[in-house]
Amino acid sequence: MTWLGTILPFRRSCINGRVLYCERFGAQMSNSMESGKEHDAPVASLALERIVRSPAALVENLPIGVYTCDANGQIVQFNRRAVELWGRPPRNARFCGAHRKRERDGSEISPEDLPVAIVLRTGKPVRDREMVLERENGESIAILVNADPIFDDSGALVGAVDCFQDISELTRIRRQVSEGRRVSRYVMEALPTAVYTTDAEGRLLYYNKAAEELWGFKPSIGETQWCGSWKLFQADGTPMAHEDCPMAIALREKRAMVGPEAMAERPDGTRVPFMPHPTPIFDSDGQMIGAVNMLIDLSEQKRANEQQRGLIDELNHRVKNTLATIQSLAAQTMRGSTVPDSRAFEARLLTLSRVHDQLSRHSWEWADFAVIAKQTFTPLRGSANNGVRLDGGEVRLRPKSALAVAMVLRELAANAERHGALSTPAGSLALSWRVAGGKLAIDWREQGGPPVSLPNKRGFGTRLLERSIAEELKGVAQIDYAAEGVHCTMEIPLPG
Amino acid sequence: MMSDTPGEQRFLDGKRVLIVEDEAIISFMLEDMFAELGALQVDHAASIAAAMSCLNGLTPDLAVLDVNLGGDRVYPVADALEAKGVKFLFTTGYGRGGIEPAWTHKLVVQKPFNVEQMTTALRELLGLD
Repeated sequence: MTWLGTILPFRRSCINGRVLYCERFGAQMSNSMESGKEHDAPVASLALERIVRSPAALVENLPIGVYTCDANGQIVQFNRRAVELWGRPPRNARFCGAHRKRERDGSEISPEDLPVAIVLRTGKPVRDREMVLERENGESIAILVNADPIFDDSGALVGAVDCFQDISELTRIRRQVSEGRRVSRYVMEALPTAVYTTDAEGRLLYYNKAAEELWGFKPSIGETQWCGSWKLFQADGTPMAHEDCPMAIALREKRAMVGPEAMAERPDGTRVPFMPHPTPIFDSDGQMIGAVNMLIDLSEQKRANEQQRGLIDELNHRVKNTLATIQSLAAQTMRGSTVPDSRAFEARLLTLSRVHDQLSRHSWEWADFAVIAKQTFTPLRGSANNGVRLDGGEVRLRPKSALAVAMVLRELAANAERHGALSTPAGSLALSWRVAGGKLAIDWREQGGPPVSLPNKRGFGTRLLERSIAEELKGVAQIDYAAEGVHCTMEIPLPG
Repeated sequence: MMSDTPGEQRFLDGKRVLIVEDEAIISFMLEDMFAELGALQVDHAASIAAAMSCLNGLTPDLAVLDVNLGGDRVYPVADALEAKGVKFLFTTGYGRGGIEPAWTHKLVVQKPFNVEQMTTALRELLGLD
């Protein structure tokens, strides 16, 4: 019949409080007692009858903590559960019987901010306040508090009643859920792929950073429907209404889709080709509650494809141009001669091939003149040329210059081998080069060969000198058919 | 060899031809072909700038343009020729697909080509067939 806590006799007002309290908690009970009378239900036992007739006994057995304070906040009544939750009897506590009281964030609550203190100060109830109680042994529990004022018959505030319950488990689950949500949000944000979700009507609920980047702006959550793109187009460039986009179809037909490829236009006019993957989301009852869409940006892939196509085109162009060059070399070699000179053709072809090797070794950006000069005298067959002196260091030539110079040197060498200084053991040839004033100066000097006479026709070599060195490379070339030996000088402008 | 070319093949008799081609060795072959076909004068340019300065002189009767001049596209020269009403054709290693859409209606001779292929294209260009 009595509450677990019986408070000092001088606190008589507690009787009053108890009565009011019991009225509050006993209202339902007295109704059922009345209905019990109405239906004449037999009372099972004396003990039960005692509980039924005494609201105080009911309160004592409630699974929630209940206590009453007087107008000063002194605890005057409390039930068993309150003691369990506090981890101790309240002794002379005011407002709350627990050892320590904290907010959910861990900060300590000052006495005047406790629910009962607020109720006594304002005369108004405090509803659903979440707090953390810390016991003397260090354990803590999360509680949900509801506190109400108690008025006497004259309407004077005479106390407060505080009901609190352990919501530790609920708090833990709630934290788990929100933690899970936070993690999945974090994962979504971290994804390098555009992802967004909608409700069942297709209204945007969430989109990640990558989606914002793909769309080029921030569509409004809860308003924008089907897709956050500024403008949509089909892969072929024809406009696509948002309600016809793959996400809209997936939601309408309640099925996951891959594609078709589409194009988003950003507010700044740039376009992004993408592959959508809309997938409806169903709850455990099978109701569609929304959808998630992942947009794979195809720009990079398209760029790579284009680059590859460009490279293949370029390769094809080079091959065709090289074939045309070889064709022309053959024509030039055969020109004016009745007997095909396969050796001369072979030498020209090989020169071309060797320069290509040098260029491809340096990503088709440059070739070293020193290597070209040396290779000019690398024999095609038979023994090496004696009497050739090379003098000069590395000089990087652009592809066009390298090809022209190599071909010209080969023609000079061929001439020297056939009629000039390299046609006799007594002859000698000095090829020297140096860089001065942004130009490569080449000096070709033959000595000791048979007497030189002016050629009677303008050959391939002369033509090359004029066209490649002088006309194309804007260089200078001069051949002196001096009696003691051919002397050729060239100046090739180098890239700045 | 020039004398071997039959009279009806010398259909470029007295014509001025402009060759725009950046590969010197290929340009020799073109020059020789045009000489065989009876051209009076064959000018050569290896770059857009050189071709433009050629056009400032005597206007050629026809022109042959390599599409890719060391990475530059020859189209500015094509525009200038079009403006002067000079007939021209393209030569390229890219094939027709390598020509900008605005110019695909023009004659294109794919490299490598021989004198017969070039002759056929030139006769078509000049409306001789």
